[in-house]
This record gives sequence, structure tokens and C-alpha cells, in this order.
Amino acid sequence: MPQTSQIKWSPLTLLILGLLFLISARQAAARQPKQEPVPANPIHPVFAILDETGANVLQSGNPLSTMQTCGQCHDTRFILEHSFHADLGLRDYSSSPQTDTAHSWDSSNGLFGRWNPLTYRYLSQEGEANLDLTTPDWIRLFGRYVIGGGPAATSRAGNPLTNIAARAEDPQTSTFDPVSGTYVAWDWQQSGVVEMNCFVCHLPQPDNAARIQALEDGRFRWASMATLSGSGIVEQNGDTWVWNPDAFDEKGELDGAYIALQDPDNDNCAQCHGLVHSVETPLTLAGCTLDNWQTATTGQIISGQKISLSGMNISDKTALARPWDIHAERGLQCTDCHFSLNNPVYYRASAETQPAHLVFDPRRLDISEYLQMPDHNFARGQSAQYNVAPELKDTMRRCESCHDAGSTHTWLPYADRHIQELACEACHIPQVYAPAVQQYDWTVISAQGEPLSLCRGVEGNTGTITDLVNGFQPVLLPRQNIDGKTLLAPYNLISAWYWVYDDPSGKTLPVREQDLQSAWLKDGDYAPEIKTVFDINKNGNLSSDELNLDTTAKKNLIAARLAALGLKNPRIQGEIQPYSINHGVVNGEWATQDCQSCHSDASHISQPMKLANYVPGDVVPEFVQDANTITNGRLFIEGNALIYKPATLAQDMYIFGHDRVPWVDWLGALVFLGVLAGVSGHGAMRIIAALRQPAHTPKVKKVYMYAVYERFWHWLQTFAIVLLLITGLIIHRPDMFGLFNFKYVVITHNILAVLLVVNAALSLFFHLASGEIRQFIPHPYGFFDDAILQAKFYLRGIFKGAAHPFEKTPVKKLNPLQQATYFVILNVLLPLQVITGALMWGVQQWPAAADALGGLPFLAPFHSLIAWLFASFIAAHVYLTTTGHKPLASINAMIHGWEEVEEHPLSVEEEAQHDLSGNDQTQGTQPESPAV
Amino acid sequence: MRFSRFTWFIGLSITAAVIIIPLILFLPRAAESRDNPQAFVPQQITHTSHADLLPGPYANGQEVTQACLECHPDTAEQVMQTTHWTWESQPFNIPWRNESVTIGKINQINNFCIGVQGNEKQCMSCHVGYGWQENVDYDFSNQHNVDCLACHADANTYAKGYFGNPAEGVDLAAAAQSVSATTRETCGKCHFDGGGGNGVKHGDLDESLYFPSANLDVHMGQLDFQCTACHVTEDHVIKGRMVADNYTIDPWEQVACTDCHVEAPHEDERLNSHVASVACQTCHIPSMAVKNPTKTFWDWSTAGQDIPEDHYTYLKIKGTFIYDKNVKPHYLWFNGNLSYRYLLGDTIDPTQITYINLPAGDIQDPTARIFPFKVHVANQPYDTVNNYLLQPITGGTDGYWTNFDWEQAFELAEDVTGLAYSGQYGFTETWMYWPTTHMVQPSQYALQCTDCHGKESRLDWIALGYHGDPQIWGGRFQTK
Repeated sequence: MPQTSQIKWSPLTLLILGLLFLISARQAAARQPKQEPVPANPIHPVFAILDETGANVLQSGNPLSTMQTCGQCHDTRFILEHSFHADLGLRDYSSSPQTDTAHSWDSSNGLFGRWNPLTYRYLSQEGEANLDLTTPDWIRLFGRYVIGGGPAATSRAGNPLTNIAARAEDPQTSTFDPVSGTYVAWDWQQSGVVEMNCFVCHLPQPDNAARIQALEDGRFRWASMATLSGSGIVEQNGDTWVWNPDAFDEKGELDGAYIALQDPDNDNCAQCHGLVHSVETPLTLAGCTLDNWQTATTGQIISGQKISLSGMNISDKTALARPWDIHAERGLQCTDCHFSLNNPVYYRASAETQPAHLVFDPRRLDISEYLQMPDHNFARGQSAQYNVAPELKDTMRRCESCHDAGSTHTWLPYADRHIQELACEACHIPQVYAPAVQQYDWTVISAQGEPLSLCRGVEGNTGTITDLVNGFQPVLLPRQNIDGKTLLAPYNLISAWYWVYDDPSGKTLPVREQDLQSAWLKDGDYAPEIKTVFDINKNGNLSSDELNLDTTAKKNLIAARLAALGLKNPRIQGEIQPYSINHGVVNGEWATQDCQSCHSDASHISQPMKLANYVPGDVVPEFVQDANTITNGRLFIEGNALIYKPATLAQDMYIFGHDRVPWVDWLGALVFLGVLAGVSGHGAMRIIAALRQPAHTPKVKKVYMYAVYERFWHWLQTFAIVLLLITGLIIHRPDMFGLFNFKYVVITHNILAVLLVVNAALSLFFHLASGEIRQFIPHPYGFFDDAILQAKFYLRGIFKGAAHPFEKTPVKKLNPLQQATYFVILNVLLPLQVITGALMWGVQQWPAAADALGGLPFLAPFHSLIAWLFASFIAAHVYLTTTGHKPLASINAMIHGWEEVEEHPLSVEEEAQHDLSGNDQTQGTQPESPAV
Repeated sequence: MRFSRFTWFIGLSITAAVIIIPLILFLPRAAESRDNPQAFVPQQITHTSHADLLPGPYANGQEVTQACLECHPDTAEQVMQTTHWTWESQPFNIPWRNESVTIGKINQINNFCIGVQGNEKQCMSCHVGYGWQENVDYDFSNQHNVDCLACHADANTYAKGYFGNPAEGVDLAAAAQSVSATTRETCGKCHFDGGGGNGVKHGDLDESLYFPSANLDVHMGQLDFQCTACHVTEDHVIKGRMVADNYTIDPWEQVACTDCHVEAPHEDERLNSHVASVACQTCHIPSMAVKNPTKTFWDWSTAGQDIPEDHYTYLKIKGTFIYDKNVKPHYLWFNGNLSYRYLLGDTIDPTQITYINLPAGDIQDPTARIFPFKVHVANQPYDTVNNYLLQPITGGTDGYWTNFDWEQAFELAEDVTGLAYSGQYGFTETWMYWPTTHMVQPSQYALQCTDCHGKESRLDWIALGYHGDPQIWGGRFQTK
């Protein structure tokens, strides 16, 4: 009887459970001794909460006014005026055609006026025939990002919104009524304005959802109070809130226990900016929805949690035992870098504005003065949201303001050079492990009126937690910094396509969402005319394959339907917006460290980025020109996909191991192979000739040809040059020589180069001091005759067994052709190679010197070309050493010093010379005689 | 020329030297790993099989020991010097007693099964000797009573029964033939099951370590260490002391991470700066009882009731328990010693928590570091008149576990412990600290900055004696 047994057991079970509960409660109490109730914030004084009129809300029952309440001590007007978070672009709002904005129809660079294809809705300006977003509707739509004040309280002309007469045609005082489908007047008096909401940022647990809901509902006056829900200070009462009298003391001031005000922490900032995860539970994120704006556009996640401990489905996750963001892990807060600009803790005058004799100016704001008038403009970088608050660009302390890169990059060859060219983020944000938006296609819409969008860095793209996240490698774009430097920095590129039309006033405007829906949809489904053309498989639905403007017919249909709505000249535009990636930084252990990540064919530097899986309407998008990036790479279509590949050479960058000038290599290889072919042919003919006729057995004598030092410097130079050629080749084409460590090869190349130069210098000294240099200087008289004689020998005589035209003697080792060759090599090739090499090495010490001579893009290919010539010379040189009377005679001589040379009847002139110099070492001057 | 045959060689050597020497001098060397712990791990010697050496048969354990001593004549004497045999520490001078005292199972209590005295029948199953019975003077000098098999027999062939004698039915010859160096199984039989079951006493030692995964314990799992890899043993003297049964421990007696690892092995300078104040264990053992739960609470006061039993929540003989898994340790300053160890007869304040042991060290103590502990909380009996903890007789024919009569159990104990029982008893809360040092996880699971610093800190900085989070306020050796 299962039921009986259940009845029998449950009291006992309950007893045990109750017992356990008591025990554990007791245990918990024992471990954490009960503390006296303390003020939530021990420093903040108690205060009364006031409404718009300045009356205590306990009496009036009205929603609170932050301006009045916080304004009792803090200068709220100053705060409001010094806050781009409040302003959101209102200050530079202008309905006249803009030139410095991203789009011709933008009225500012901020959220209030700058159109973004991801959010799509357009803030209507005065006098436009078709209203899209009015000011109230803008607040309702973007409430999540609207902190209040600025355009949520002030008109575009700078007057209080409550002072404007409500007219349905005025984009400031109307709202779209979905029931009637028309715009109706908006009563600001009734809704109230949105005051700057201090609580969103200064409460540990603001109820942001309630705030957003209040804004969405148009109950603007209540937004601040809604934020307090859950704090115990207010209680929800239907659509509004009432004050909880228990939270106040007898004087009508808020009880200290409820005052939990604090400095903003990461979670506060996260409410608008992007995903922050500061708790122990495994982090999860699905898809790239715009709820987390910064994460959606860049993949940045601010969390100290290790990726391996997250709850996401990331490929090879267990190996990723690194935090999402090293700074979050190290306990940094957003405000540590993005600090209030007059916060005396962080503020430091820039070196430029400070008198030269001062290192530190101790005259600064007192804490109390700061608390009274804290600047709410926060230090910002210079990349993300490039044109927002431009006067504050670069007020933030960047990586290098806190980190001493020099002390930690000692392992990196050419560290200075790398730092000159690469932003820290380029290597320290090697991969982003969250999905980010790749493309938005507004040329088509789903049956629900949504655009087609795709995330990058994720497989599956169902927008659910089970999608496999691979992450993505940011594209590196040259970023022009304020200080004049151009550094490569990581970006995500988001491409978007949308319809635009010509307003009657001649302005180009994006097609309104409601017009798009009218053109596409009817009664919650696609219009029948649309289905006729788009539904290719006739199943009644439009799949994502069918929902694509890939034919002219489809494109024309939509254009015609938009035109039918009265929109003139509807057409598709596409744009690419770079989103700067500066967070999600890794420490050195996880940064790009391997040389060949960049010094290889598949270099990070030119890592292509897929912009879109298809190109809607065949419109190739253009880069939005409101970022400090240079986008002169290549935009091309591969398959259906649109790809952007950054250029390196075009950006005056020459990455060893990645960049090559093809014609240099072709020409060099051709010369080298030509020489090889030449000497092979010559050698073959010699062998044939030798077989045909009896061996040429000239009379020979042993001569001490090369002194010890000559042999030594020759062989040292031989090894150095051969090794330089090999190491140079590896540096040139590291992909072909995966066995070698690029870093060590580069350093070896440099050491060998120094060795070569020192050896050459010592050798030059030897030849100058001993006068041997004369051997290398061609004698002008009869030089050409002699040269021709020598050439004839190589071309003809050698095959017939003829004697060498010139006797090789210790004082005249070189024949005229050799003299000419060495003259060129030693006076032209070697110096050029040394100079170009030195300048390339010196590119970090004296970049100006290299730049004066064309920089690496010129020097490096030139160096390669000469290397090819050296290689060719060596091939010829080695072959020609075999042209003595015996193939190995000359090589032997260079090893042992003694050479068997053909005896020549000396010409009178030469004999005289020998006698005069008394230098004929074959006779007696050499202590040891050859063992014949 | 006579030397012409090797001229080329001399020349080649010199030329090569001129090239190679600068390369050696100027090529950067790969940074030598600062930490090379493997070099310090003792080599395990392959054990000689004793299968043919000990034919048996053996009538009892003592005969086995005699056989062992024939070839290893000094070993019993060695074992008899160790606390495995004596169950008693060296004498300590302590400030709260006039005479020096020893601490051990032989004479003190804990807050698990409370005390051994008078309960030898069962407790001696973990003593390395045979035949230790209550009320019988035990001959600690009889070498034949040393139980070699307890540690050296294959754990599957041997088990100990009452009074430390071999359990019924053990084939002593088979056990003797199976002997080898100690393993995790042989040590684990007692040390994993201490306190009467798996994971009762230690939060960091339990049966999951018989076959540990790399993620559970990097040393025993990934590297397959046996206990003696760290508890280096020479002449049966095993390195490592349990602070719960000692007062002070000489550093040379204790196993330390730095026996194999360098003091500051991290690549990250910031991490190395923690070493002066944070023990390795603190970060590298993020939680205890990762796989098997450990007992964190034991309430003796509810024992003796006829309610449904469950190994993890209630046993009639023992009372109510809480077992917990993935337990976050308690963190205290710890210099390796105790500042207090409860000794039988110490008076208590029953309104307050009684600490069976208290780790020594505070923020002022430069030798102390923040260290993770398992805290075992118990509700155990005390004499309400004399105000000291009572040790009941639990085993035996009249023990509590037979008759469920506390009065009788305390009265019986009077003669054994020499501690008078007033006739009034109650239960009081006691805490016992167990250092956490095993179950070191792979480095990628070590604690991160935000585990201790910032809002979600697992450390109570104020309680540890800091002004606040040292990330902001500065550490004890560094002003900020």
C-alpha cells in the first residue's frame, strides 16, 4: 500500500527535516554572529526625498525628482551639464545637412540623432514629410540607454520639453499611435520628462527592468522611482509606486539602512553597455542580441571568470583557463579607467598642459568639493564611438599609462618596432570568445518584421545556448591615434544593408520600419505578391534562402512596392561599421606570442574577416567614415561571401615572412637558376670534351697560393654567407621551413651579419695593410683584352684542353674576369647588402633612417634581390673553382694553401715584375716545400 | 706535408668556433623553468615479490611478524618509535597546564567518535599493532605485536578486526605473500576512513583518492603519486604531522609544497607577491570534498532514537550528521602550530563554542599564512557540573552503542579516563579545525583574484586583521 506507507513516513521525514533545519540554522547563526543593523552606506548622510516642486514626497506622494533630491547637496545642474551620458548628442544636434556624421541624414553623433542600422529606427527631424521616431518614441524605444536629462528633458532648441506646445506634426511632441496608425500629440506636462537617473549607476541593485518598463510605457516622471523598486523604499501600486513610510524616520528623511548609494561598479555600467559577469555562477550568453550592446557589437565580455568555467558551449573550452578579461579578474572596475575627470584620486594633468618645470601639481580639488560637483564626463579612449564627446578623446589612461611594456617584452626581438606598429590590443586580444554581430540585412524582413541578422564566431546561429561558439579573430585595422601614431588595433566589422529613399525635400532617408512592413507584409504574413516572387519552392513560407534579394525581379518588386507607398527612388545601401575592441584583454601568457602568428603567409596582420555570407541586392557596402581607422584593404566576394582583407604593403608595412615582392623573387630566382643552368651546361660540355680528347696534362708546379689568414677569412666568409642565405630564406619564407624557430633564425641572421661585416672589415684591413688589395683592382691597361682572352678560354679553350691564358700566382691570383666580378661584389653588392641589412635591423633604433630610404617596403625586397645575386655568385664561383687543371685543385689550395698550377712561360713583363718584387714565393721564401 | 691531412680540420674547427661561439653567446636562452618539482620526487623502488619467501601457514599475526623480522630485524623497533605505534605525541609544554603533556589518540578526544580510551575493541583496527585491549596492560615493547600487514599487505587480502587483530577469515599467508611498499590503498584504509567512514574526518582525504582523476588531485591523479612520494619515509619514520594531534610541529617534520616546488613558482609577479601571506593550499585547493562528501556537522545529542537511519543524515548510535560536498574551506592565519588543543579535563564555557584545537598565527605573525581549514562542528557531551567535555564508552557490552545509556557510558569511562563524572551531562558545540592540504587541483582551477578580492570575496579581510581588502588597502608587508 504505497499510500499508507507515505502517510506513515511523512511525519517522520518532516521531523528529520525540521531537525536538520534547526540545526543548520543554528550552525549558520553560530558561524556568522548577528551584527547590529548598520547604515548601508556608513558615510552618506540621511536626506529627505523631494518631488519636482521640492516638497517631501512623503507629504506629496509624488514621484521623486533626482534633481531636487540629490540637488540638496550635490550640484545636480553641474552634473547634468557635464555628462555626455545625459547629453547623448543633443549638444551637437543639427537638422541642417551634416558633413562630419556617419550618414547624410544624421543629426548628431550621439544616440540622439545618429542613425544605426542595427537599431534601425530613425529620429525624425523637423519638416520631414514622414515621421519616424519622435522624441517621446525615441525615449520609449531606447529607454534602456537613456539615463535621463539631455534630450529626454530638453528640446532640440534647448528649452524644457514641458514648455513646447503639443502638436501631432512636431517630431518633439508626438507619438505614433499603433491603433490608428497615425501620429498623435504627446503631452509632456502629463508624462513629465525623464530626469537624469542617479540610481541606475549609484545603487548596488537598481531595478533597471522597472525603469525601462516605465519609460517604455511613457511614464517618464516615474522612471527614477521605478528604479527604487525592490529597495524597500517604494512599493508597487498597479502601474505606479507609493512611498513606504517605514523607510523614513520621524523627520521624514530616508532611514540610513536604506541608503545604499555607492560608486558605480561594473554591474551598473553593464546595464547599458554590455555583458558584465561578476559572480561565481557560470556565465552564459546566447546569440548576439542587442540587449548587451557592447558584447553584441564586439564580443567583449567583462568578467574575471575563466572561460573554461563558463556555462557556454565553447570549442576546446577546457583549455581556455583564462579569464574573459584580465582586468576584470584583477579586480579593476570600469571607473578605474573611465573615471570622473575631476576625481582627485585619478585626475592627473597631462604633460602638455602642465608647465614644464612641474611633475605633479598638488593644488587640486578637495574630496568634499569633488563630491559636491563631480564631473560626470568620464575619461574615454579614442576609438569606440569615435565622434561622441570628441573633446574628451584620449582623456583615459590607456594600457601604456599603467603598464611598462618595455620591462615585460624583453623576450620579444625588435620589441620597440612591434610597439611602434601594434596597439597593445592587437596581441593582447587575440581571439574573442563570444558571438558578435556580423551582418544585418534590412533589405528583407521576416514575417515578424525583423531583419535577417547573423552572428560571427558561432556555429549554428540559432541564438540559443547550445550553439557552438568558436569565437573570432578580430580584424586588425590601422588606427590613427590622437598623438599622430598609426597602430594596428583589433576591430569587429559589422556590415548592414537597408533601403533608402529620397524625401520630398531632397534628403536621403532610410525607409521607415513601418513602410518596410507595409511593403512586405499583409495581415501578419507576407503579401501574396511577395510570395509569388519569393516563394520559389511554393511551400507557402519564405525560408532564409528564399528571403534574399538575389534576383533583379525580387529587388524590383520590393522597390516598386516601396515606390507605391510614395517613397521616391527607393534603393539599397550597404555600410560597414568598424567596432573597436579594447576589452577582453589577456595577459602575456595568453597573448599572441608566436612569431609566426604574424610572420607567415596566414598572418594575423592580414587576417581576412568575413563581412557577410551573402551580398544583399549585389550592393557592395562602403566603410562608414566616422572612425579613426584606415580601411584600404581589399573588399572582395568569394563564393557568395563578402570578405575584407587588410593590406600590409599598401599600408607601408612589410611583415617579414608574410610580405614579398613577387617580381624580386622571380627575377632573383631566374638569375640564380640561369647561373645554375649555365654552369651545369658548361660543366657537362667540359666532361664531354674531356672524354673526347686525351687528358690535358700540363706541366704543373706547387705554389703556396694562400696564406693562412687569407684562407681563414675566406672560409669564415663562406660559412657566414651561406648561413646568411639560408637563414634569410627562412625569414623570407617561414612557411616552407616550419622546422625552424623564427625568432632564433632572425637573431642568428643578425649575429652572422655582424660576423660577416667584422670579417670583411678585418680582411679589408689585411689587404690594405699588406698591399694585397692591389690584386683586386683591375689594371686598366689591356684589361678588356685580357678579359676577352679569359672569356674566350672559358667559352672555347677550356673544352679543347687549352692552357689557362693567365698564370695564377700568389701575387696575381685573380684573372681579369674575377677581378671585375669581385670589384662589383665588394664595392656594390656587399656594401648595399650591409647597408640595407643594417637599416632593416635599425628600423626600431632609428626608424627615421630607414624611412628616409623608403622604409621596409623598399629595403626588404632590395635586400632579398641582392641575396639572390649573392646566391647566384656563389653558384658560379664554386663552379669556376673547378676550372683549374684539376677540378679540385683550387679548392684544395684554398684549404691547404698550396696549389698545383700550370707552368706558364712567363712573359718578359711579368718576369721583370717578379724579379723586381722578389716576391715569388715558389722559391725559397716559404719555409716548407710542397711534398710532391 | 705531414700535417696537411688535418689542416682542413683545424681550419674548419677554428672557423666553426668563430661562428658558433658568438651564436652561443648572443642567442637568447629559453628561460629556465624556475620550478622543477619532479626532480625532488623520490624514486619508487620496485618491490621484491614476497610470494615465494613467505610460505606460511601462520596461525596468527604475530607469527607473520616473526617471519618478517627474520629478514628485516630492525623494522619492528623502528615502527615502535613512531606515532603509528604509540598514538601519542612527544611531550609539550603548554601555557595552560603546569606539567608537560602529550597529545594523541591514546589520551585525548576529538569531536567525532570522541575518544579511544575504553573503546579499543573497535578503534584499534587502525593501530599498527595486535591485541591492544581495554583494561589490559598493553606491552608496547613486544616486537611481535607490530602489525606489518596493516601497511604492507595488499589491501584486498588483509583487514583488521577487533583489538587490532587480523579480522576473522583473513588468509594470513596470502596477505603476507602480497606485501609491498605502501600504496594509497594501504594508507587510505585508515586515513581516508578516519572517524568511522569515508570522508568523515578529512575534507581533503577520502576514498575518491584510490583512483583519483587529474582534476581531483593533480599529484595522486595526474602524476599517480603514492602517499610516500611526499610523506617521505625512512626507517619507518614518515614525514608529516597532523596538527590536530600535536601542539607544535617542527618544520622539518612536516611535509611542505616547497619540498619539491620553489617558493615563488608563478610566472606572474603579482601572484608571487602573495606567497608571503597566502599558503599554496589556499588558492590551489579551491574546495574540499570535491567528489565524496565530508562530514561537517555531528550532533551527538540526537543519538539513541528509533527513527529511520541514513548513513549521511542520522544513525541511532551516533546522532545527526551533515555531509557536504565541494565545501569552501574556512580561512585562518596559520603558522603550522596550534595555539590551543583541548585536553581532557580542560574546563569549558558551555555557552560558547569550545575549540578542540585552534590554529596558531595572526596577521602580526610573519611566519603565518592564510590557510584553508575544514571545520568540523559537533554537539558533544560535557559534564554540566564540572564543565568539561566527557568521553563516553561507546563500544563494548555496556557501551553507549549497545545500551544507548549516556549515564552508563560516562560512568564506565570514569575509570578509564580518570575523569570524574558528576552525574549531570549536557551537549555543547565544539569546533575542530582540519588543515586542508591534499586534493590539490590543476593550476587552471586555482582561485582567481576575484575569489578573494572585490565584492564576491570568500575571505573576511576584517576578521583576518586587515583594514579591508588588501588589493585596495595594501598587504601586511606593503603599504599602499
